[in-house]
Amino acid sequence: MTALAVGLIMAFASTATGLAIGWLASKSVEGTARQPEAGGMIRTTMIIAIAFIEAIALYALVTAILLWTKI
Amino acid sequence: MEHLLEHFILHPIIPLEVGSIDLSINLAVISMWVSSLVAFFLVLAASRNVELVPRSKLLNFVEAIVEFAYSNFIEENIGKEEGKKWFPFLFSLFMFIWFANVIGLIPGFYTATSSVFVTATLAFLIVFPTVHLYGIKKHGLIKYLKSFVPHGVPVAIAPFLFVIEIISAFAKPFSLTVRLFANMFAGHLVLLTFIALILEFKSFIIAPMPILGGILVMGLEILFTAIQAYIFTTLSSMYIADAMHGGH
Repeated sequence: MTALAVGLIMAFASTATGLAIGWLASKSVEGTARQPEAGGMIRTTMIIAIAFIEAIALYALVTAILLWTKI
Repeated sequence: MEHLLEHFILHPIIPLEVGSIDLSINLAVISMWVSSLVAFFLVLAASRNVELVPRSKLLNFVEAIVEFAYSNFIEENIGKEEGKKWFPFLFSLFMFIWFANVIGLIPGFYTATSSVFVTATLAFLIVFPTVHLYGIKKHGLIKYLKSFVPHGVPVAIAPFLFVIEIISAFAKPFSLTVRLFANMFAGHLVLLTFIALILEFKSFIIAPMPILGGILVMGLEILFTAIQAYIFTTLSSMYIADAMHGGH
């Protein structure tokens, strides 16, 4: 049962994070294509935003590991 | 697969206890010493003969890092004039985290940042007090606390916002802690899993695939070590800039 729970946690977390990062990257590519001179700033902001989104998946990962090892 | 996590358990090499506090020297401590010494001597060796047009490869390398760090952490976030005095702090933070991350990829060493205690110390005991003590010193305690509430907020909502902002001030170092720790932990666990697959199957037909995956993940990890150090330092510099300009 724990294995199922851990799998489900990671499945949902990685789905949501994948969608979010994909959307973010597509939007920032669009922005860079429209205004290439702002590319550097957009990239920096994108990397920081990715770090924020990624942290959500990592919280899920930590929860999953804690659940897996029964704390 | 439970045994995979055993690689992240630290065993004391030289047991040492002061009172009830465990100060044993373990592999993580040695890795941190080595990484800070490497970072220190790398920059020191490069700064021995600074030239206007650098000829040595080492000086070129270090200069590129310094320029990258200066333009990203200082010029873009804190500002040129006031930011100059913050450069030593942020640069040593960046170099320490980067080398501590990288050294874990060398077999035999331990990634100090994949231990939650190390990252919590960095965030809660180094970055958090630095930011807020600096804000209090610059603005005074009362004015700094006032700056937590945005301007033009109705008086009725202000106390609630203040409480929320205080919670968010504590959530920031927490998220710094978990981000760095979980990234390094997860990355090294993935590498370990690929290598464990070889030992699990014990077959020459299957072995090339985990090796290929391991190499790919290793390349990704080298990228992530730099990105995580960059993000940790950028966010610290953003918090410093927030404290400097009196909040929002």
